[in-house]
Amino acid sequence: MDSLSLIGLSKAYGGVPALRDVTLHLAPGRVHALMGENGAGKSTLIKLIAGVVPADAMVVRRGATAVSLRNAADAAAAGFRFIHQELNIVPQLSVAENILLGHPSPRRFGVLVDWARMHDRARAALAFLGAAHIDVTRQAGDLGTGDRMLMRIASALVVEEGQAAPCLYVLDEPTAALTATESAKLFAVMSRLTAQGAAILYVSHRMEEVMAVCDDVTVLRDGAHAMAAPIAQTTQTAIIQTMTGRQQTAEPPTGPVVRGAVACDAIGVVSGRLRDISFTLQAGEVLGLAGLEEAGQGDLLRLLLGMGRVKSGQLRVLGGPAPTSPVQAWARGVAYVPRERRSEGLMLGMDVRCNTLLPHLGSFGILARKGPETVRTRDLADKVRLRYRAPDQTVRELSGGNQQKVIFARAIAGNPRLLLLEEPTRGVDVGARAEIHALIRGLSAQGCAVILASSDLPELLGLSHRVLIQQDGRQAALIDRAGLTADQLLARVYSPNPA
Amino acid sequence: MLKHLRQSGTLIGLLGIVLFFALQLPDTFLTARNLLNVSQQISMLAVTAFTMTIVMVMGDFDLSVGSTASLAGIVAAVLFAAGWPVWAGVAAALAIGVVGGLLNGALVAYVGILPFIATLGTLTIFSGTAFLVSDGKTIFGRDIPPGFAGFARSGVTLTEGVTVPAMSIAAVLVLLVVYVTLEHTIYGRRLYAIGGNVHAAELAGLNVRRLRLSAFALTGLGAAMAGLMYASRVASANPTQGAGLMLDAIAAVFLGMTMGRQGEPHVMATLVGVLILGILDNGLTQMNVDSYVREILIGGIVVAAVAMSSYGRARG
Repeated sequence: MDSLSLIGLSKAYGGVPALRDVTLHLAPGRVHALMGENGAGKSTLIKLIAGVVPADAMVVRRGATAVSLRNAADAAAAGFRFIHQELNIVPQLSVAENILLGHPSPRRFGVLVDWARMHDRARAALAFLGAAHIDVTRQAGDLGTGDRMLMRIASALVVEEGQAAPCLYVLDEPTAALTATESAKLFAVMSRLTAQGAAILYVSHRMEEVMAVCDDVTVLRDGAHAMAAPIAQTTQTAIIQTMTGRQQTAEPPTGPVVRGAVACDAIGVVSGRLRDISFTLQAGEVLGLAGLEEAGQGDLLRLLLGMGRVKSGQLRVLGGPAPTSPVQAWARGVAYVPRERRSEGLMLGMDVRCNTLLPHLGSFGILARKGPETVRTRDLADKVRLRYRAPDQTVRELSGGNQQKVIFARAIAGNPRLLLLEEPTRGVDVGARAEIHALIRGLSAQGCAVILASSDLPELLGLSHRVLIQQDGRQAALIDRAGLTADQLLARVYSPNPA
Repeated sequence: MLKHLRQSGTLIGLLGIVLFFALQLPDTFLTARNLLNVSQQISMLAVTAFTMTIVMVMGDFDLSVGSTASLAGIVAAVLFAAGWPVWAGVAAALAIGVVGGLLNGALVAYVGILPFIATLGTLTIFSGTAFLVSDGKTIFGRDIPPGFAGFARSGVTLTEGVTVPAMSIAAVLVLLVVYVTLEHTIYGRRLYAIGGNVHAAELAGLNVRRLRLSAFALTGLGAAMAGLMYASRVASANPTQGAGLMLDAIAAVFLGMTMGRQGEPHVMATLVGVLILGILDNGLTQMNVDSYVREILIGGIVVAAVAMSSYGRARG
């Protein structure tokens, strides 16, 4: 098989570049790791070659022939197969139907489903993966996570007549939901695929895994190509350093912590998937939460917001027991900035005033009083430097950064004593990001305790006094910010307890 | 521009309908007497639709209002027959409405059943209860006290021959109460916030469950009121007489939602929806249009209005 070249991939979203002139060469029979921090451009790259998002510039060559990728069908015809971390399955349908989903089902008399042939094809695909133990007639929803992954890969293996054999498999965080045994099975499958001459583009945050199973690595940083090398000629440390880059070590938080009042005190808390959570947070202190995606940062914040139950251990929030509902949490002086601004934060169709004052409407009495509410909204909007037309402007019309500022205005409206932030600057432009950071510093200086969950390491280092690292829900380390560099922090995120 | 046209399209439609009947029925339609008559005819639907708006603001809806209305009428009539005074029977019937609404609200907000399924279930329960309590019979005649039936016949006389029916006044009062509640109280703003994004409302510390529970209770109360008005008007109660209210009330709110800036319901817009349905019914009846044809026309108009509105919204 010919090697595959992805040349000059560029993409900007609304003027903000997500991918800048990235070139990648994928050799047949080799596993190529694609690494980079969150937001480095990995998922944009995948979307471009999947034909899901139109590229601003992209040339794809297979050997000497140009491949055009205008839509998902083009990508499939070119023999590209994509397996995403979210296992999209239809749980009500059988395994065989899921495997052949998106392919025309075999027919009898042109109208009836030819079940026998359908099952045969599904079985053949599974057998190739060494997964013949999966019964193709079972409902897909009954399968365990590992078997679901195998089912998805089997689905990617199915080739229609007249279609090119798959030449590239893109695996996006495939092991995120797998156990060690299941991962091992997946790696065996990968070597079968490469033995057939296919190339694999492998995206993972798990460093050890990448070092073990990949042949080459490309590192992206801030949307640009940062490094490409055979794995054998590089080291884990070198890759991590390249991922973070020579990031100017963000200036450490200024201003003394207001010592004295304890905002939050956790001793050996267990709740849901959270384990061993122990920390004391003082008024004015900023505690950063770090970890790989979904390592439990969100769970911890939501527990403090009253959306979880403490199973064992002790948790005190703002001088009382842990709140049992968001209503109680807000009333006690907790404020929360959710991760998903549009789905969890805003009433997009409603105006700035209502969105800002939502948790605090009760303080205006029973009747809605437009005058005082408007004055208050203007005041808060100035504090967060919101750029808007009027308090009755619909939030949908604001830019992402300004929408995020509306959520901040809401959070600070009640003069919170404990502020919970989840990815507070995600998808926000540089200017708004700096303003939001200044706001967080200001609140901290005024004695508000802050817990900041962020996958943005410079942000964590620039704002936190201490950093709590989580791994699979467990508190793996609690380290002081002083003297910590981005490289060290990233290394700790990947392996929290160095020998 | 297009947006304004879409928002005001329903209002223009109402004016068009009025104009059409005014031209077709020059002698009878635009008379004070007929218009007051229309206002009485639509008063029960109006009360149901106004209070239905309260749950629909949150993105929920209540299919059980029709059978709640029937049950309220039956309960009042049975109690009258048992010798209860008018005020006590009315109070008990309204309480039944609130209890029914609380049941709906509890199922939706606390148990977490989809409103469609929860209120479809309670629709059947309330309807069965109405049959059970009444023994499946219509209660009428001497059992209905004159003081109760008289309400629907009373009114405020303005000048000779022009009397505003008490039922119309009741509907206007309900309209005002719902309007102030939804548009000018913190409570109403919170309901709109739930409709805007229930997940965000919860994370921002609104007591979403209690708000939903109370909103359903208000809708139940409104349905019971409408049922009592109906029973008073026909001086009898039977276990199916409210059945037609539910679909018309939902249709009226949907018609009104075409006027919302973001497609959200407002009670004044619901009034426009109620007027469209009521005036069409009145005018077409006067023109001797067959009642089946009338149904087809009204259904077609509701679908067309909502379709145009969602088409307009999809295109921005």
